[in-house]
Amino acid sequence: MNFELSQDHKVLQSAVRDFVEKEIKPIAMKIDEDHMIPDTLVTKMSEMGLMGSYFPEEYGGAGLDMLSYAIVVEEVSKACGSSGVLISAHTSLANGPIYTFGTEEQKQKWLPNLNSGAKIGCFLLTEPNAGSDAGGTATMYKREGNEFVINGGKIFITNGGYLGTGILFASFDRSLKHKGISAFIVDLQSPGVTILKNENKMGIRGSYTTAFAFDNLRVPVENLLGKEGKGFNIAMDTLNGGRIGIASQALGIAEGAFERALAYSKERKQFDQAICEFQAIQFKLADMYARIETSKLMIYKAAWMKDNKMNYTMESAMCKMLASEAATYVTKEAMQIFGGYGFICDYEIERMYRDAKITEIYEGTNEVQRVVISKMLLA
Amino acid sequence: MKILVCIKQVPDLESRFKPDAAGVWFSDTDLAFRMNEYDEYAVEQAVRLREQLGDSAELTVLSIGPDRVVEAVKKALAMGCDRAVHVQDTAVHLKDPWQIASIIAAYAGDQGFDLIFTGMQSQDRGSAQVGVSLAEQLGVACATTLVGFEYADGAITAKRELEGGIKGVVKLRTPVLVTCQLGLNTPRYPTLPNIMKAKRKEITAIPVAELLKEEARTTATSFHHPAKKGSGLILEGDVGDLVEKVIGILKEKTSVLR
Amino acid sequence: MKTLLIGEYREGKLLDTTYELFGYAGQLGAETALFLVGSESQLPAFGGTLYLADALACGEYNPDLHKQLVLDAVQKENPDQIVFLHSSYGWDLAPRVAASLRIAQISEVIAIQEGGFEVGCCNGKMRRSITPATHRAVITIQAGAFQGVQPGGTPQVVKLTAESTGTMEFLGYEPAEEKGVDLSKAEVIVSAGRGIGKKDNVPVIAALAKALGGELGASRPVVDAEWVAHDHQVGTTGQTVSPKLYVACGISGAIQHLAGMKKSDFIIAINKDKDAPIGEVADVLVVADVMQFVPALTARLAR
Repeated sequence: MNFELSQDHKVLQSAVRDFVEKEIKPIAMKIDEDHMIPDTLVTKMSEMGLMGSYFPEEYGGAGLDMLSYAIVVEEVSKACGSSGVLISAHTSLANGPIYTFGTEEQKQKWLPNLNSGAKIGCFLLTEPNAGSDAGGTATMYKREGNEFVINGGKIFITNGGYLGTGILFASFDRSLKHKGISAFIVDLQSPGVTILKNENKMGIRGSYTTAFAFDNLRVPVENLLGKEGKGFNIAMDTLNGGRIGIASQALGIAEGAFERALAYSKERKQFDQAICEFQAIQFKLADMYARIETSKLMIYKAAWMKDNKMNYTMESAMCKMLASEAATYVTKEAMQIFGGYGFICDYEIERMYRDAKITEIYEGTNEVQRVVISKMLLA
Repeated sequence: MKILVCIKQVPDLESRFKPDAAGVWFSDTDLAFRMNEYDEYAVEQAVRLREQLGDSAELTVLSIGPDRVVEAVKKALAMGCDRAVHVQDTAVHLKDPWQIASIIAAYAGDQGFDLIFTGMQSQDRGSAQVGVSLAEQLGVACATTLVGFEYADGAITAKRELEGGIKGVVKLRTPVLVTCQLGLNTPRYPTLPNIMKAKRKEITAIPVAELLKEEARTTATSFHHPAKKGSGLILEGDVGDLVEKVIGILKEKTSVLR
Repeated sequence: MKTLLIGEYREGKLLDTTYELFGYAGQLGAETALFLVGSESQLPAFGGTLYLADALACGEYNPDLHKQLVLDAVQKENPDQIVFLHSSYGWDLAPRVAASLRIAQISEVIAIQEGGFEVGCCNGKMRRSITPATHRAVITIQAGAFQGVQPGGTPQVVKLTAESTGTMEFLGYEPAEEKGVDLSKAEVIVSAGRGIGKKDNVPVIAALAKALGGELGASRPVVDAEWVAHDHQVGTTGQTVSPKLYVACGISGAIQHLAGMKKSDFIIAINKDKDAPIGEVADVLVVADVMQFVPALTARLAR
């Protein structure tokens, strides 16, 4: 048994770390203030190969593995949670299902543009009345000749604002609940796609969270992903992988806050000593670090299991749950260590505190993760 | 054309250093290592030349040290070097610059490299000797401290950085060794696809014993913190108090507030 | 103990830094002879033996030829140490001489110790003690580590010549980039280093410079990152300054920077790292977060 990263993974980690240090960290605060990741950064991340880390080179991916992908999202999120979720949602939720469920033609057609970042991907599942319960999907489709015609709407779509390539879920018969759902690969530049709004949010403000309406959106039949009626399975499998990405994002946010809090606790002096000399602070640091390391081990294990083609459903649920709860805990304690300064926007801790919360909610709330874990325990 | 670039792995210089058990170098536990910054400029320039020359050129990267230096070597491969040589040496920190140069010379001696790139110095040891000593041992021309480099028709035109920002421009014919200074270029990032490609590139491992023929000419007897100047005053504490203290000092010791 | 000191000459002028070699030899209590590729019209103020080659004939920079000349002087003088400045001329030439003589070289000496030398390492944060294993040694001394001394007098000139060897063609000098700001005349300089974190924070440092009636300076990394224009750079590749007050903000104190500002009358450094090398030259080291302390000081000055 070996818990050390391989040399190749260390090379990747330090390459991404250097990139993030120079290209993302200096503008992370601005990304939050502007509610926007600049296109120049998206281009740089694409050129760096961050948008297709674990897909084979024949489809324009970097050809690395799931662990590499987890490291990428973690490192990026240390500086900027918005940029982290951009990569995570794109990679896990758009490239991922096309690679896993797509035909060879579909992979050849869609993956190169996604892996190169020419198109930004998104995952269109959530609806006003279908969140954790995807069976409530009310976006409907019907076949007309060689096309499917889709009508309805989606909300809370991460990366939606880029109008790139989407994996869209719609039902042909609501009474069949989740068995009526099919998945489609959709070019969001098509007629019939309307952005209703990009949401204003508490955190990850640089990331688009988009509401869409679809009005007679026509999709060629060859864009059906997997079989008709299997959309729910595709969605659930995709979210399994996605949880590793979100867990890595949460881990990165936690580590970013921890690094700052640790450094600050050594600098900040009260009562003639650095505050890290006080046991009250020491205990916080110990608790924070232990939760970070626990999450990291579980994420790396889940990624390793996926790389080794093992069933990682439970581990991906556990790592998402652990890391997101570590993120909210660590950012809260980091703010406490920073005291009043942490509450001021200049110190970035308040941004991380805001960014952390969503990780407990999206890609399956932590309650859903607990359902997944306990179901498997009791199966 | 055969090109060689020599790199060193050094600790993050922001680290706190503690002497090792022998007290002659730093203890490397708890340190993060990376490619020497000057060597990154060397690798970048070598890769640019490799790209300029196309497939008629082959670029080899070489590093000496324990297994961990392979991480720096892989980075250089991911930046665009074609192949690598890892001279395995767990006691590289005990060799002096002359010996390091002699190890590289022993490897490069019969390889016929037309151009050799090194950093101007290492960030940790900073002797600025290895590159020039290597050129002397190989009997090739050498220019140091480059902030400009051009190659055409078997000759290089190099800009050397001199004190005060002046540059000295020199022209040399190959074979030649150049040492690279900060500001020569902007090193590229190793991209993920190139990190993957680097995995397939050949890394030849050579035990140092096969190459080391020279005795050390210097011996390090101690590694230590600088003696504190003594007269300097260190102020710590609450920012508000610090400001008042500094204002007091400015009034008392300088004329700037009068 | 006999030393052969290797002086420096550039663009038709004897460089003042040459006298630092005498400062070193003085501390060593050694006999001195000077080597120079220079001009008879620019003789140094030194009453001993000067091995002089003509720069017009030998070139100001031609290391292969200069090496031959130094070796010739070494043979004539038989010194125990051949001492260079650790400069673009010295670090370029010294290893060539050491290699030819098959003797030890010790680089960037900052102090003489019993039986050896103290040199800097780890970007100036740490020190090493080095002992040469050969009786004779080549030394390069750190710029500014030894106070310059003008011995006075007129040298006895021993002329050296050498056949030109031609591996290198010197094409000339390029001037330093235009200096828009003349920091050398400023009475107060407030400089920004990498520790300020990002370009957006430069105005905070500039505001303190203004509040103190001074100019904005910068360390090399900050200039390289294009946070501040080159004409504000302090250090060996920028400007050498000696204001009444120098405030170093988030500058760790690389040797190249220290060499450019350590002659300032009074130095205040603000740094998070108590062990930063800037602390060695600072009269006052304020251990604090630059971005907290500087705005607070500026605000206090405005009152």
